[in-house]
Amino acid sequence: MNEQQRLQSRDGQERAAAAEALSQMGPDAAFAAIELVKACADDEAVSQWAVSALEELGPPPVDSLGELTTLAAADHAVVAYWAITLLGRSGEAAHSSQQQLASILCSSSEMSVRQRAAWALGEINAASDVAIGALEEAAKSPDARLARLANASLEKSRA
Amino acid sequence: MASKKSRSAPKKSRLSYLAWFVFTAISGGGVTGYVKPDTPVIGDLVTKVKSRFESGDGTKLAVLAQSEGVPGVLANALPGALNQGQTPYQGQAPYQGQAPYQGQSPYQGQASYQGQANAQPVASTRSPTNSLLIASFNIQVLGKSKMSKPGMPQTLAHIIRHFDLVAIQEVRAKGDDILPNLVAAVNADGSRYSFVIGPRLGRTNSTEQYAFVFNTSTVEHDPSSVGTINDPSDLMHREPLVTRFRARTQSPAQAFTFWMVNTHTDPDEVPQEVDALADVFHAMRSAHPDEDDVILLGDLNASETQLGRLGQYPGVRWVVSGVMTNTRRTKAYDNIIIQGQSTAEYTGRWGVIDLESMLGISRDVALTISDHLPVWAEFQLWEAPKQPSFVERFPGNRR
Repeated sequence: MNEQQRLQSRDGQERAAAAEALSQMGPDAAFAAIELVKACADDEAVSQWAVSALEELGPPPVDSLGELTTLAAADHAVVAYWAITLLGRSGEAAHSSQQQLASILCSSSEMSVRQRAAWALGEINAASDVAIGALEEAAKSPDARLARLANASLEKSRA
Repeated sequence: MASKKSRSAPKKSRLSYLAWFVFTAISGGGVTGYVKPDTPVIGDLVTKVKSRFESGDGTKLAVLAQSEGVPGVLANALPGALNQGQTPYQGQAPYQGQAPYQGQSPYQGQASYQGQANAQPVASTRSPTNSLLIASFNIQVLGKSKMSKPGMPQTLAHIIRHFDLVAIQEVRAKGDDILPNLVAAVNADGSRYSFVIGPRLGRTNSTEQYAFVFNTSTVEHDPSSVGTINDPSDLMHREPLVTRFRARTQSPAQAFTFWMVNTHTDPDEVPQEVDALADVFHAMRSAHPDEDDVILLGDLNASETQLGRLGQYPGVRWVVSGVMTNTRRTKAYDNIIIQGQSTAEYTGRWGVIDLESMLGISRDVALTISDHLPVWAEFQLWEAPKQPSFVERFPGNRR
């Protein structure tokens, strides 16, 4: 059983062990990016290791971007946050995710998720009208960090 | 106090907003002195001290030493003698700087830390010297799962006991028993370590805490100085934990005092955060008129060539250079930052602990301890002769 399968085990200890093992692999854990993002919704023993693995993961495989784009709209804030983070790390390879990210930026109820979406739009060099509009609106936010990140992404898109 | 305020008057830049809020948080004076009364803290020591502070008995460092009845004498505080045998690090250059101690790890030759729970006491790993060893250690996901591994608390305790003061990053747990249990393991051999822990920080509900673990026989902290950098512009994912310490000596008035600034940057926003750390560094050096020794340390997620404005700060010195600090030995993430002229107490000795060599374990086993290695630096116990003030040396920074 590989780590991806172990992360989906019914046994919580097995899932935790898999997440911990992946957290020790650094960028080599990228193959399990999707499973690790989903594991952020698991209990503490699993999610803490999953987050640790994701921090060191670097960009995910290109073939995972479609599912990560879906996960970016997840109700679970930590799952959404990390899916968006991985999309942002993918740079222009995730260019096709910009509509979804713009939508999340406008509508998510979680400020941390909106902030990450604003950041990711800059990382993927978003340039669509919808994305620019969302960023311009976010740049007016009273939340200092959201406004700053949106402005930074707008500057990138104009560069 | 008035001069500090004028120096820290708010500007319209991000830098100055940050500096201003640090100033008000750390040295703002008023009825609360320089503690942040709303700073969440846990742990018996801090709770006790906070209670004392809130009762109006908040004391400065010099008074604390007397009021707690702690011997102000360093010598012979630790059992055991300094081993003069071969360092376990010899022959490992250039991976480490220099060995912080000379002695044999009880773990040498062991294939794993498993089963080491009953290992012999190792208090002799850190013997009385004329210096302070200060370390930074990102103990990846230091929480219930890690602490429940057989032998792990003892292994971490063994590592910590090599140092007088350790800045720990990545305490990740919902419970509040992690640091008390870790320090209990450290003290199981009769050592007298204590700790300070900060609030849970993070943008999501996946949070982490900073902590300082320190040998109360060799170093003391000012409880009223414990605080988290106030970051109203939300520049940093996990705002640094700051605490002021002093070496324990026979002459407290001459002892080395310093701020510790414990930090862990967001790997996805490193350039922005190391720039913000330059502001934190400056604010900490400026915030208190009698203290410009600031030791900023932690997991920067940046090598010495990626320190941005922090690396360009006048006179700044990064201790770790040219050495990988992650356990896989692919990245230089961890460092200790000082201002070279002010913090002349730095002896020039530093290192990165090779856990594999130190404990006699494989890379895979070392990775179960952490994906980071401890980095350390040595400082003398006595305050160096007073340098010209920062503002005098760098008049361009004066408003």
